[in-house]
Amino acid sequence: MSATLTAEQVEVPADPGELYERSLEERWGDGAPIVPPTDDRVLALLDATPYAPDHVLGALPPQYGVATVELVAINAAMAGCEAAALPFVLAALEAMLVPEWNAFGLTTTTSSVFAMLLVNGPRRDDLGIDYRAGCMGGAAGRGSMTIGRAVSLCLRNVGGQRAGETSRTVFGQPARFGMCFGEWEERSPWPSLAARRGFDTSDDVVTVHGGKGTFPLADIHNDDPRDLLYLIAKSIAFPLSNMFLSGTPENGEVVVAMNPMWAERFGSAFPDVEDAQSYLWEHAWQPLELWPAGNQDILRGKGRVDGDGKVRLVASPAQIVPFVCGGLGSLHAVALPSFGESQLQSAVVQRNQPTR
Amino acid sequence: MTSVTIRRPTAPPPERSVAPAYTLDGSLGGLRIGLRTDGAWRSWVLIAGEWEKRLRDEGADVTCVETNAQVGDGGRTDRRNIDEWSEQIDAGLVGLGTCGSCTSFTVHDAVTLESHAKPSVAVVTEEFETHARNMATFLGHGDLKVLVLPYPLEARPDDELRKIAAEYYPQAMELLGVKR
Repeated sequence: MSATLTAEQVEVPADPGELYERSLEERWGDGAPIVPPTDDRVLALLDATPYAPDHVLGALPPQYGVATVELVAINAAMAGCEAAALPFVLAALEAMLVPEWNAFGLTTTTSSVFAMLLVNGPRRDDLGIDYRAGCMGGAAGRGSMTIGRAVSLCLRNVGGQRAGETSRTVFGQPARFGMCFGEWEERSPWPSLAARRGFDTSDDVVTVHGGKGTFPLADIHNDDPRDLLYLIAKSIAFPLSNMFLSGTPENGEVVVAMNPMWAERFGSAFPDVEDAQSYLWEHAWQPLELWPAGNQDILRGKGRVDGDGKVRLVASPAQIVPFVCGGLGSLHAVALPSFGESQLQSAVVQRNQPTR
Repeated sequence: MTSVTIRRPTAPPPERSVAPAYTLDGSLGGLRIGLRTDGAWRSWVLIAGEWEKRLRDEGADVTCVETNAQVGDGGRTDRRNIDEWSEQIDAGLVGLGTCGSCTSFTVHDAVTLESHAKPSVAVVTEEFETHARNMATFLGHGDLKVLVLPYPLEARPDDELRKIAAEYYPQAMELLGVKR
């Protein structure tokens, strides 16, 4: 713990309730109580990363505040992160700073879109990153709740993203408090998302998705996995999807969170995940006639209609991304629709080896 | 009252230099005026089309560029086109900012033009004026000229949009620094 901190020191009430009030006055928080980022807490977090406190990850839009590792650690401490979780926060921010993730657009849009963190790797259990029942909310794993929140706090406190001010989001969404969950890799019939994106299975990897929300899907009627996958494809190609707004269907991915029971059935029909993605893509379209006449003209003008009168959700199978997680109660899947003008980005978690 | 010492979690405000803004300070005759449209907004395509006719009537040579993407191959092509367009023209009108990210990219592209030392006006709707001015400041171009059109433009009949085009054209020219 030899690092030197340079952020301004502030005296605040030690009483938790009074500290909460102060954080609201100062606009440091997200409306929920914070953990005080004392030097001891911040230094303990910094001890878990190989980066120096003054290492700069980048400038976070919209206000382009400079995200130093120290400042990220302060916000992670406020969110309640344990030390080993800080490298996951840093990896998420590193991924979000890749221009193709489009933080410039996503932090200022009218859309609800926000960073959804999808985690792969061996440390999911140690850190409490939920990937089983209630993984998108309710399971209350410390890693899920605090890593996502820390990223959200960094966007507010470092990037200056504030709804109704610099962010023009019309509704926002619950994920704006922070959303982080893992893949149940052990129950997936396919390689993990991170492995499919070229990472080693021994690595902890954070993949950041610009997701508009959680779109629930349910079924009890289909025994044939192909029929069920067909209906998932039709459901995610809903006519008011962002993906139908633009003339660039090659941008953006739709993540489809599949429960392990369904995934097993899909895996039996499609042992290769790319075949499952191709099947989903093949059916993820709507007939042009579904839209009113005015919309039809616009879709034609944007080159979105193929020779058979189909309007495809996305340009390629790789843009429909299966992710296995959730409880064993089956019945349900959740689509995480894309903003469109944002591409999934992944980063390896870089951490110090434990020294004590 | 017992207290505890913590570290401030907010980034210090970045130091902002304000890049210079430019004006034409002359008539339109013989000048190359650029119009940047966005495929997302049909209302702006119509208004820009009306302005194109008026600019040509006043002797300007008009070069239009349309953007459609923010990322990927399309986004890279759009930004490259904006850069090349900025080289080719003497001044330009860049729109339309009438959502969050499209306002951000409108300002971004207007700033690109201004960075080429060319008079540049970002065209936005009333609801997004503050956002446009904020983004211009964040990008170091706090003096960027902003033309504010009524909000909303979408869902208005074409005739009404043509009236708006006629009504706001003089302001657009004034912001560019056109002298008649």
